Amino acid sequence: MHPGVTPLVEVDDLHVHFGRSRAVDGASLRVYPGEVLALVGESGSGKTTLIRVIQGLQTPTAGTIRLEGSRRDRSSRRAIQTIFHDPAVQMVFQDPTGALNPRQTIYEIVAEGLRIARSGGDERHKVLDALSRAGLRPPERFLPLYPHEISGGQRQRVVIAGAMVLEPRLLLADEPVASLDASIRGEILALLRRLVAETGLAILAVTHDLGLAWNIADRVAVMYLGRIVETGPAEQLLGDPQHPYTKALLSVVPETREMEQQILVGEIPDSTRIPSGCRFHPRCPLLQSGTLPSAVAERCRGADPGILPPHAVRAAACWAVTST
Amino acid sequence: MSDPLLSVRNLHVTYATEAGPVPAVRGVSFAIERGGSLGLAGESGCGKSTLANALLRLLPAGAEVTGEVVLDGRNVLTLNPGGLRAVRWTAGAIVFQGALHALNPVQTVGDQIVEPMLVHQTAGSAKAAMAKAADLLGRVGLAAGLADSYPHQLSGGQRQRVLIAMALACDPLLLIADEPTTALDLMVQAQVLALLDELKRERNLTLMFITHDLSVLTYACRHLAVMYAGRIVEEGPGWEVFGAAAHPYTRGLAAAFPTIGDPASRLAPSGLGGDPPTPGKLPSGCPFQPRCPLAQEGCAAAEPELRPAGPERSAACILV
Repeated sequence: MHPGVTPLVEVDDLHVHFGRSRAVDGASLRVYPGEVLALVGESGSGKTTLIRVIQGLQTPTAGTIRLEGSRRDRSSRRAIQTIFHDPAVQMVFQDPTGALNPRQTIYEIVAEGLRIARSGGDERHKVLDALSRAGLRPPERFLPLYPHEISGGQRQRVVIAGAMVLEPRLLLADEPVASLDASIRGEILALLRRLVAETGLAILAVTHDLGLAWNIADRVAVMYLGRIVETGPAEQLLGDPQHPYTKALLSVVPETREMEQQILVGEIPDSTRIPSGCRFHPRCPLLQSGTLPSAVAERCRGADPGILPPHAVRAAACWAVTST
Repeated sequence: MSDPLLSVRNLHVTYATEAGPVPAVRGVSFAIERGGSLGLAGESGCGKSTLANALLRLLPAGAEVTGEVVLDGRNVLTLNPGGLRAVRWTAGAIVFQGALHALNPVQTVGDQIVEPMLVHQTAGSAKAAMAKAADLLGRVGLAAGLADSYPHQLSGGQRQRVLIAMALACDPLLLIADEPTTALDLMVQAQVLALLDELKRERNLTLMFITHDLSVLTYACRHLAVMYAGRIVEEGPGWEVFGAAAHPYTRGLAAAFPTIGDPASRLAPSGLGGDPPTPGKLPSGCPFQPRCPLAQEGCAAAEPELRPAGPERSAACILV
């Protein structure tokens, strides 16, 4: 899919442990320049922890993260401190109201990143340009306003402008529209997609919303209990899911009413007690259906399907898929 | 409708604020038959939660409510305190959004489920109430042993189920669910929706479901009403409204939730420009007209009333 293209981000066999909890438990992925990758998972899947490591807000327990080849290695504590304010990686948080300082004007909020990064140049021009690109036009009108004086959708645009002003090559977006009203959602997603087209930016979007993935993602990676269990181009993964977990997730999206619903019982297990064998096997509808050959079912219960190869274009960590 | 359980006529709710009166609900009428279900769609500030709270008179004292709310034959708005107490929990109960804030942090969830049964003396004895609480926890898919837990020991999905169990404690005829799944993961949302569906079938429960997620409403409810700026702007059978909306606002709202596999929405998110209006500062004429892609001359002149838009359907738009 990306022959010869150097990945922007390389995550290999990443582990993040909090005491006995294994929040990220061997995750590998690639993000390529100019693409939108949706990292899909439920609460407790480890998706937010994973992007916090990429942002440099969390030290991994093991594994490596590389940005743009090997220039920046985020695996050690010292490396993280030195690149903490790396302008190449910016983040958009879920709740724009919480992400903005209520006592700063829009100008100060957007200019703050520039000052921290000591980027020089014409600050006012850069701020106006970023606001305009984020769809806040005319930008001059917004400069003196405070966050409470603008709407929720406009606040999320200010957050995006604050990230874009540093001309990042990677935008990490943690549920970028989850706290926004439905009618505003589409506009913000369209903005993200337009920024990718205009600037060659890559976006790693963390979400539990499969509709968002269909709306903006080139590729999708599905995370369950600290690991990526399925990955592939968005049309293929969402149109023809392979992993029983992905199939179940898609079957309960309210829009897909033609599919037979597979409602999993209970919630994602506690990451202090990751099941042995395949981590999904205690909830797996395919295993529970009793249709698997006994040799495969035995493997599901007893053997870990392992970590997906990070370069794989289309792969699922499931014994039933690899055995057929 | 031959025998509505809930019928609301010309309901107005106005909040008194320092800046003057703010109308939040501006003349809403609808009815739900016994065993029926109504999905109320709308975004922040459209008045949908105010409406839900007005149905059981749960609004703060500064809110002026006029109109008529008839629930199981009684006009809720004119009941005396004793009559009101008899209606709450038994005729109608609410599942609130934000499961953490709606529960008492220093009381076990079992005690919280038992409390309305004791107050309303619907269970017979305290022991019978405890047994019923354990039974209700089982009905919502939780282990009976969780009755001894405190809210902070439970996950978001578990707390939401506790709230549903609590609302069912006195066997209400009507369940009002205000954004009951918004904070939940997809799989837990599906579990809660399946539970509500089961309750509708088994106990002939009447359901009023409120959220901005049109796709969830269409899934959970037979009928749909869409609110904008304090009024119902479209109503009709769920799949028809979702699939072929008559009002441009409903169309925009429906497009916000793409159908996975539909080539039209692939890499093409669509939404409405602008923002919902602030209550108390509504634009002139049709309140949707500044954001409406189809607005024309005359839309700013007068606010359109609901008018027929096909069998069992109506919409408040001059283009209908």
